[in-house]
Amino acid sequence: MQGVTAPREQAPPVISTSSTILNMREKEKYIEDFDFPFCDESSKYEKVAKIGQGTFGEVFKARARNSSKKFVAMKKVLMDNEKEGFPITALREIKILQLLKHENVVNLIEICRTKATLHNKYRSTFYLVFDFCEHDLAGLLSNVNVKFSLGEIKKVMQQLLNGLYYIHSNKILHRDMKAANVLITKNGILKLADFGLARAFSVAKSGQANKYTNRVVTLWYRPPELLLGDRNYGPPVDMWGAGCIMAEMWTRSPIMQGPTEQQQLILISQLCGSCTPDVWPGVENLDLYNKMELPKGQKRKVKERLKHYVKDPYGCDLLDKLLQLDPAKRYDADTALNHDFFWTDPMPCDLASMLAQHTQSMFEYLAPPRRPGHLRHHHHVAGAQPKPVPQDSTYQDRVF
Amino acid sequence: MPYWYYDKKDLQNTPSFRDGISNENENRYRKEGARFIIDTGSKMDLGYNTVATGVVYFHRFYMFHSFRTFPRYITACCCLFLAGKVEETPKKCKDIIKVARSLLTDQKFSTFGEDPKEEVMTLERILLQTIKFDLQVEHPYGYLLKYAKCLKGDKTKLQKMVQMAWTFVNDSLCTTLCLQWEPEVIAVALMFLAGKLSKFEVVDWNGRIPKHNAWWDMFVEDITMELLEDICHQVLDLYSMQAQPSGGDSPPIPSTTKPPKNEKKPPSGTPPTSVSPVAPVVNKTATPVKNGAGMGVGMGMEPRPELPRAGAGAGAEARFPLYGAPPGAYCAPPPRLPPPPRLPPPPRLPLPLVYSEPPPSYPPVLVPPVPPPPYYPPRPYYPPP
Ligand SMILES: Nc1ncnc2c1ncn2[C@@H]1O[C@H](COP(=O)(O)OP(=O)(O)OP(=O)(O)O)[C@@H](O)[C@H]1O
Ligand SMILES: [Mg+2]
Repeated sequence: MQGVTAPREQAPPVISTSSTILNMREKEKYIEDFDFPFCDESSKYEKVAKIGQGTFGEVFKARARNSSKKFVAMKKVLMDNEKEGFPITALREIKILQLLKHENVVNLIEICRTKATLHNKYRSTFYLVFDFCEHDLAGLLSNVNVKFSLGEIKKVMQQLLNGLYYIHSNKILHRDMKAANVLITKNGILKLADFGLARAFSVAKSGQANKYTNRVVTLWYRPPELLLGDRNYGPPVDMWGAGCIMAEMWTRSPIMQGPTEQQQLILISQLCGSCTPDVWPGVENLDLYNKMELPKGQKRKVKERLKHYVKDPYGCDLLDKLLQLDPAKRYDADTALNHDFFWTDPMPCDLASMLAQHTQSMFEYLAPPRRPGHLRHHHHVAGAQPKPVPQDSTYQDRVF
Repeated sequence: MPYWYYDKKDLQNTPSFRDGISNENENRYRKEGARFIIDTGSKMDLGYNTVATGVVYFHRFYMFHSFRTFPRYITACCCLFLAGKVEETPKKCKDIIKVARSLLTDQKFSTFGEDPKEEVMTLERILLQTIKFDLQVEHPYGYLLKYAKCLKGDKTKLQKMVQMAWTFVNDSLCTTLCLQWEPEVIAVALMFLAGKLSKFEVVDWNGRIPKHNAWWDMFVEDITMELLEDICHQVLDLYSMQAQPSGGDSPPIPSTTKPPKNEKKPPSGTPPTSVSPVAPVVNKTATPVKNGAGMGVGMGMEPRPELPRAGAGAGAEARFPLYGAPPGAYCAPPPRLPPPPRLPPPPRLPLPLVYSEPPPSYPPVLVPPVPPPPYYPPRPYYPPP
């Protein structure tokens, strides 16, 4: 390409430092003053309350300072102890959220930054900014005053499966299904959130298995194939979580709360029967099949045990199909959406009117512990770890 | 999402240009930066996708910042570092820096500052903000393979043609084409070029319908011959440009000690590509393709170290010959070159020439035997077909 002559040509290479690259101070000034056209400053939002605390950072409710006064959720990207710069997990989350645009997936509005100054050693902090959702499902389920009718439960599950159908069609695995990661707006729209562990998957070609980490999914929602060391898993891992969440709509607390991976596997066997090659061809080939203690002779009792909570036989049947030990037999989102559960009376019905009776946000983080000493499990931490208690645990954020 | 495509006018009026760097030098810095990413990436066994993503970040970055503010080699490292994470092929920052150091002269490496890793960390945040966290980048490679699948004809020739097109795509990273055209368009153009050079006549293709005049009408609408030729020439220009001596390193090399000219080793005169181990541009100088019509376009020209390209001497930079001079010759300042003769602009038309010699047979830089499927579906698609 032919160049036009620059307005100010460079000096020949015999040059002093000042005319070459900027020195440190000049560069800092440059960074401080540069108005990144594509990345707004986080000061355009005003923090209102802290609503979540995760391994990757805090989540705040905030309000736009502009005329819209719109509420958003800001998730801070924690980088303090990062040896390798911007965390790959956050990059994944951003990349995936940018790809996914759907009514039942939380919407990423933008990524904001704090100004780089001497104070922060010229390193901005970043926030993921989302449309604000008034509740998360864990918060709602932990509040006894929140009562879901059968039609409303159907609506929750239908939206959740719709979201999963969409992300799986786009070759994304969520890998952290649990009630706290399912958000619900005051209008009753459900949004899958927290793609901090999500990743793209490819359908394994013959002879070349995928090697994903199996250290994913909060223990209580972790499917048996992950507990047995499968590294070539796929969408069924999320479907197991969907089953656990569905049961929780009636039981109101997680149905299998194992304190260790071994214990979790035992709890699963007690509910879903023994993991044998009979019911699950190929299970014997999983890495940990011989290393874990697997209860023998357990009968499958999914329907038997859940029918006390789930009076609806269609609901029981769908749960049975989602909580299949063999991932190949587990229903996928599409099949689940076609289940009679969603197509028989009472039909799925809107949540907005039920939610309208509640004027306060309900989040897992803000909910009081369900029982004393109750431990909340987190997948990133080996073993059980209590989540930090909010400074003011009586604080309930006013929504309206 | 921001729009990442620019017209030629925007590509001339860049931050570097406004900062006093000529377009020519800027293009050279871009080329050297891109080539350095390719070389570093290849040396670290990073795939073509990661490398290409890093290069695209690099080109986008300098649409917002000047080469004078941010020296090219450390930016290049930072782009590769980020691309590695985004493409799920992460490399440790310190390992990238180690390789970079092995590929660069001390002088060039000095732009990494006192604590190179910390510099890269700070720069990464600036990079992310500059590219608006628009991390997912598509490349022509996938399209190339997709298009090739539809073409009918002699399998061996087709294979050869695709290999050549692949190499052109690799080399196109050293141009600003990714700032001008979508990857689909670049893929069509460079396959067209490879078809011409390897004499693979596409006479028929799967999915042909009467209104299609050429195979690419099936994939991209409204591609004109002028556009194709413009793109091809931008890539071909790379092969003729390398015969031109590399200019000085101003501005990105600070010289706190002696001016580079008087140093024993000639950092600023060393061809930037000569240190790269994997298919550096210099290896391609003797590309065996000859322009049969004898016009001075691109490929097949003998190196012409003494003849800078038109406009190349616009700056007052001293120029060193690329080849032929014994190392000692660098000790003395090179003779000042007379103002370069104004060369006639390279002929732009017609492209479809008869080439008298076989197509390039050098090994392609990053061609995998069977490239994996794209990591992501191109676009969210709902519901699936
Ligand atoms: N858009 C939102 N609107 C309202 N609340 C939100 C929103 N996003 C997140 N939250 C709240 O913050 C909590 C934590 O957010 P999120 O799950 O995304 O991060 P995390 O749990 O810290 O991430 P990770 O589990 O990957 O460590 C959620 O459980 C939810 O209560
Ligand atoms: Mg979470």
